[in-house]
Formats: sequence, structure tokens, C-alpha cells
Amino acid sequence: MTVVEVLFLLLGLVAVGSALLVVTTRTMVHAALWLVVTLGAVAGIFLLLAAEFLAWVQILIYVGAVVVLLLFALMLTKAPTGPQPDLDARRALPAVAVAGLVLAVLGTTVVAGFHGVELDLDGAVVGSAQTTGATIFQQWVLPFEVLSVLLLAALVGAIVLSRGTARRGGE
Amino acid sequence: MIWVVLLLVLVPFISAGLSLLVGHGGEVAERGIAVGAGALGLALAGVVAFPHLGDATPLAHVFAATTAAGPPIELAFYVDPLSAVLLLLAHTVAFLVQVYSLGYMHGDPRYPSYAALVSLFTGAMTLVVVADDLWVLLVGWELMGACSYFLISHHWELPEARAGAVKAFLMTRTADLGLLFAILVLGLRFDSYRISTVMAAIADGGFGRDDLWLPAVLLTAAVVGKSAQFPLHTWLPDAMPGPTPISALIHAATMVAAGVFLVARTYPLFLSAPAALNVLALVAAVTMLLAAFYALFTSDLKRVLAWSTVSQLAYMFGALAVGAWSAGVLHLLAHGAFKALLFLAAGAVVHAVGSTSMTAMGGLRDKLPDTFLTMSLGFGALAGVVPLVGFFTKDAVIGATWDAALHGRLVWPWLAWLLFASAVVTAVLTVAYSLRAWLMVFLGSPAGADLAEGEVPEIAEAPPSMKVPLYLLALPTALGGLVVVYPEAVLGSGEYHLLHPELGLVMTVLVALTAAVVVRAWRRSGGRDPWRPRVLPQPQVDRVYDVGLVRPVMRLARLARAGDRDVIDAYADGAAAGAWGLGRVLRLAQNGNVQGYLMVVVVGACALAVVAGVVA
Amino acid sequence: MPLWWPLLLSSLLFAIGVYGVLVRRNAVLVLMGVELMLNAVNLNLVAFDAYFRDVLHGGQTFALFVIVIAAAEIGLGLAIVLLVFRTHGQIDVDTMRELADREEPAVAER
Repeated sequence: MTVVEVLFLLLGLVAVGSALLVVTTRTMVHAALWLVVTLGAVAGIFLLLAAEFLAWVQILIYVGAVVVLLLFALMLTKAPTGPQPDLDARRALPAVAVAGLVLAVLGTTVVAGFHGVELDLDGAVVGSAQTTGATIFQQWVLPFEVLSVLLLAALVGAIVLSRGTARRGGE
Repeated sequence: MIWVVLLLVLVPFISAGLSLLVGHGGEVAERGIAVGAGALGLALAGVVAFPHLGDATPLAHVFAATTAAGPPIELAFYVDPLSAVLLLLAHTVAFLVQVYSLGYMHGDPRYPSYAALVSLFTGAMTLVVVADDLWVLLVGWELMGACSYFLISHHWELPEARAGAVKAFLMTRTADLGLLFAILVLGLRFDSYRISTVMAAIADGGFGRDDLWLPAVLLTAAVVGKSAQFPLHTWLPDAMPGPTPISALIHAATMVAAGVFLVARTYPLFLSAPAALNVLALVAAVTMLLAAFYALFTSDLKRVLAWSTVSQLAYMFGALAVGAWSAGVLHLLAHGAFKALLFLAAGAVVHAVGSTSMTAMGGLRDKLPDTFLTMSLGFGALAGVVPLVGFFTKDAVIGATWDAALHGRLVWPWLAWLLFASAVVTAVLTVAYSLRAWLMVFLGSPAGADLAEGEVPEIAEAPPSMKVPLYLLALPTALGGLVVVYPEAVLGSGEYHLLHPELGLVMTVLVALTAAVVVRAWRRSGGRDPWRPRVLPQPQVDRVYDVGLVRPVMRLARLARAGDRDVIDAYADGAAAGAWGLGRVLRLAQNGNVQGYLMVVVVGACALAVVAGVVA
Repeated sequence: MPLWWPLLLSSLLFAIGVYGVLVRRNAVLVLMGVELMLNAVNLNLVAFDAYFRDVLHGGQTFALFVIVIAAAEIGLGLAIVLLVFRTHGQIDVDTMRELADREEPAVAER
């Protein structure tokens, strides 16, 4: 059992545990905070899997921007801060079943498909900023440009949505 | 001359169209067209008929012919003495009916359609009488039936009028199938539809006895229906809710007589197939007695006359059945005259009294003198009183049956005897019911005589428009006997055994005796009904039709409707309901809950993944 | 390590994310579930990238792109959530049933 494997197991446990808490906790703000933990754990796993740049981007964007946005949304929608008894719909059991089904399907696929396959990280090219940047701006430059347009569209859309109601407020 | 014939055929149709076009456009116009066309038709009929009476050569002409598969159908006309006399009869009665209707139908809101239909009917009858092509004859024949239907139901607000019209139409139409099939058989057999051609071919010989029994029997069936003989006799009395002039025109003088005309016209066919003549004789023998009995016991004046018509038609058929062609035809003419007279006079009585029941009449001799005089002549002719025309023609018929019974070769001897006996007994019964009707209507105490002075209803004599036709018809009734004495003038030269003096004497004695009996019974009943109208144990012919035909047909109709509604429509409705139900069920899934939708999506995706994994 | 470890982990996270999306009533919490799912996908991509040692580094690049898209999506999603909050006063997705197919009040006569 190498160090990497141990670390991976630990981080995996953290990720799964906090993810479970995200979806089951009764306090909304706590859910956001547990999400932070999950995202952090995943960033750690990225590091283990030789994706440096990605890990830091994860922290920056996901934890830094996305979760903050979520918290803002909670605030703006006047989410109650205390524990709420009715956060889950009454369909918990069917949802568990569906999730279980998904897990079964995916899990069986990966385990059966890649059983015995070893992930060798020793000679891996580390996904540093340099390598990632070079790849992106050479091989993946077109998707990159498209993505920037996408971001622009999202930006404009968000502004339009917010402003539109401001003018039509009270309708 | 042939163009006059064409004109004769066309004028009534054109006038019918004009009557309908004018509609309610003005009393003078509509009456003028009706009566004017009637007069014109009569004039043209005279022009066509008189040159072709007696020994004149018949007029035959073909106007057009179709080229179709099989023998051609031609617009062919043929005018011989038979056609001529019937033309005169039909147009005279039609014209007189149009005049009479001016008074009788005065104020009737449906006069335009009435006049149009009477004209149309006249045209149809003309077509039947001068047609030389079987299909043309059929067209006229069916058209007459249609006009009869429309005219019987003239007062269609009365349920009995509607029912009577439908009954008449259905029964005659069903019988007309016989005519249709006979035409087809004849066309097949002789490769021609022209009556003159076919009859000439038959008369030429080459056909064994009863070789042509099928078309003859089919024709017999057709005339039995059209002329209301047993067992298709029940429609004629039920057609009486129609206006009385219509009863006079259609159901006394012309349409029902068309059956007799058809047999007379196709007589060579019948002569070559005596089997049909036997059938006809039997039917005639039964019908004349049966109808006379009914006439004896009914208390409705028009029904008496209706049953009397059926009985007298049986006389004509009886004469034709035993080979006495001229006797039959002459009785047809005579009956046309005096029965039309009787019906029109009855119309005057009904018009005055307001009811057709004889119990509401009585003592009308003083109040309706013209009607009394003319109707007495009519009843006398019906009963066969010397020297009115009915005496001569009836004697001709009875004499013919006597001759046939003694030495005839067409009909079976026993049948001829039966016919003779039937004819004699019917003659007695005819006297009885005619006298009874005459006594009840005109003599005796008027109905309501026991009412107080001021309550007696007003009874007025008929207007001139109604009286004049009565007098005009009284003329042939009184003087028509001359034709029987000198038939050559009308029917052409030939052997005629129309006068039987000894038989005439016997019949007159019988008439007198019967009259005495009836008068005595009448006196005994205090001037009312000589015998109480009894409910006869009638052969329930109508019941048989009802159970055997009407009910099953109605049941079938209900079944068909139920089948259409519950079976076929059920599929359509069921499909619609099924789609509805399915929609409603599917709607349950569309509950608006997005997470629910997502669940389904995810499960579906997993399922697809599994399937892909399994298959690939 | 065996390859299936990170893959199984990603499947687990994905399933948990699905559960979160399906069961939570608050719209923001639903979006959190979506984030979990996206992260699981990223993990999967990176694991495979490490395994294949792709010259193009497709896995990591795509993971990067996913992050970008996630950011765009969360921005727009939250804008919509705020809009809903303004019109309805709450963001309980269970009560938003405007998409439902309702029974027609007037049924056509036969």
C-alpha cells in the first residue's frame, strides 16, 4: 500500500462523507459548507492524480466563486439559518433507489471493466500550468474560444434575467 | 298526328311544372293553369283518340332509341282502340276532377302542389296508355304510384293520411317488382321491349301452352298489387283519407284501372299462358266476394265506395280471365264513369255534411237535390239497374263467365263455375250495399233529427264547379249502355258476345228481390242502418302482413340501427374514449414536478446503459 | 493504485449528487447536487487522463472546461433562482407545478 493509495483512500472517505452530509443535512448553510469540504477533498485527489493546475483551479473557481455564489443565493432568497425539518421531499426512498441504481450501473461498469488495471503514476506527466497552458493554447484553442463565448453568453444572460425583472417587478 | 301524341304526353308534365313554378303566385294563375291544361289535354286526347277508335289502323311510332347492351329501349308510342278509349276516360275524368277541385279544394293552402300532382298523374297515365315500350310503360306506371303517394298524403297532418299513403306506396311498389321482372324476362325471351313486337310474336304462335307462364304470372302479381286484389287489397280503403277528387281520379277511374289495362294490353301473353289466367280468376273470384262483404258492413261512405271499387275491379279481371276481353274493357270504361261520379258526388255530400260517416247523414234528398239525382244514377249503375250502363257491362261479364263455365277452354271448369257463382252473389251484394248507402245517405230521417230546431247544422248544396262535373259524368252513366250494344264503333269489328238477354232478365229479377229485402230491413230499423254494422271476422290479411313483414322489417331496422350505433359507432366512440382515457392516464405522469421527471430520465438513462451493455 | 478506485469514487460521488438533485426541495440545494455530479465527472476524466497518459492531455483539459461550464451554469442558474424567488416568494421546487398537464375543465360533448 503506497502512500499515494493511503492518501487517496483518506481523501476519498472525506469526499464521500462530506458529500453525504451535503445532501442530508438539515441546515442549508451547513450544506454549502460541507460542499466546500467535498470540493477541497476532490482538489486533493486531483493533486494525487498529477493534475496540479486543475486542483488549484478547482479551489479557485469552485470553492472560491461557485460556493460563494451559492451562499449569496441562500442569503438573497432569505434561507432560514436554523435546521429545517422539511428540506427533503417525501420521495426520499425512491430517490435513494434511483441513486442506488445509478451507483450500481456505474459501479458495475467500472469495476467489471477495469478490474485488474493498474494506474501507474510514477512516470506521469504532471499537469502543471505550463503543460496545461501549452496544450490548451495549441491543441485546444478552438474549444477554448468557444468557451469564452459561452461565458460571455452566460454573463449577458444573467444580467438580462436580473434586470428584466427589475423593470417588470411587481407584475 | 304523331306529334299530337307527343304533345298529349308532354302537356300534362309541362303544366305540372308550371303549376309548381307559379306556386302561390295568384289564384287566377294557378287555377287557370290547372283547368286550362286539363282542358287542353282533353282536347288533344280527343284529337288523338277519335280517329283511332273502331276499325282504324293503330298508330305506331318510335321517337328515339337507346343503344345499350341488349335490346334497345325506345320512346315508342302505340295508339289503338284500347289506348284511345282509355285516353278519353283518363283525360275526361282528370279534367272534370280539376274543375271539381276548384270548388272542393277552395281555400286549401296546398292547392298548387295538388294541381301540379294531378297534372303529373295525368301525364303518367297518358304515358302508360300510349306507351309501346315496356320501359316507358314502367316509367309511367311508377310515376302514377308516386303521384298517388303524394296525393293521398295531401293532408299530411293527419296520421291516417300518412299511414295510408305509405301503405299504398309500399304495397303497390312491391307488386311492381312483378312488372319489372316480367319486362326483363320478356326482353330476354323476345330480344325486344316493344309491346307490339312482343305481342305479335306471341300471337304468331310457336309457343306451347303455358310456355310463357313466368312473365304472365309476374304481370299478374303486378296487377294484383296495383289494382288492389286479394291478397294485396288492403291498401285501397286505407287510401281514403286522401281528398275525395283524388279518390275519384286515382282510385276509381284510372290508376287502379291501369292494372286491368295492362292485362288487356298484353292479352296475347295471357292467352298463351292460361296458368296465369287461372290465378287471375281465382284471385278475382275471392276478391269480388270479400270486398262486397266489407262494403256491406262498413258505415263510412268512402270506404263503401273503395271496397266497391275493389269488387268491381275483380269483375273486370274475372272477365279477362275467362277470355272476355271486350267485356272486361267495357266494364272498365263504365266503372270509370260511374265510380268517378259516385266519388265526386260523395265528395259533395262530405263537403256539405262535414263527415264521411253515413251515420251523420240521412234525409239529404231535399237538401242536396243535384247530388241526389246524380248519385242515384251512379248507385243505380253500380247495382246494375236497367237501363244504366252498369247493367249492360255487368251482364256482359257475368254472361262471359257463364259461357266459360259451360264451354270455355282457358280456365279450369270448376274455376269458371266458381267465378260465375261469385259474380252472381257479388252482384246481389252490390245491390245490397249500394241500396243501403243510398238509403242511409239520402232518405230516412236526417242525423240529428232529434235535435232541437236551432241546433240542426247547416247543410248547403255544392257549388257549381262541383255540380257540373257530376252532371257531365251522369251522361255516360246513363247512356253508356249504347256502347255495349254497338261495341264495333269503339273497339273495332269482331265477334262480340256481350248481350245475354236471358241472363239480363234473371239478374234484374234478382236485383229487384234484393232491393225489396233491403228496403224492408231498412224500414224495420226505423230509417237508419238496415243492419247494424257488424265486426266481420275478416281474413286478417293486414295482420298477416304486420306479423310477417312489417314487424320483422322494423326489427331488422332497429337491429341495423343498433348495430350501427352500438357496434360500429362503438368502435369510433371507443377509439375516442380510449384516446381520452389514455391521455388521462398519461396526464398523471405530467404532474409538474421536475424532480419526478428527472427521476424518470435517470432511470431511463441507466436502463439504456444496461441494454447497451448487454447488447453491445 | 487500481484504476477502479478513483472510478468507483467518482461513481459514488455521482450517485450522491443524483440523490441530492432528486430529493432536495430548495432550489439552491438542488444546484449543490449538480455541482457534486460535475465534480464526479471531473474526477473520472482526470483518472483516465492519468491512466492513458494522453499526449493531448485531453482528460485534464476537458475537466478544466467542465469547471468553466459549471461556473457559467451556476451563474445563470442562480439568476433564475432569484427570479423565481421574486415571483413566488419562495424557491421550493415541489410547489412549482406550472408545467403540469391539467384536466380540461370543459370536456367536449360527444
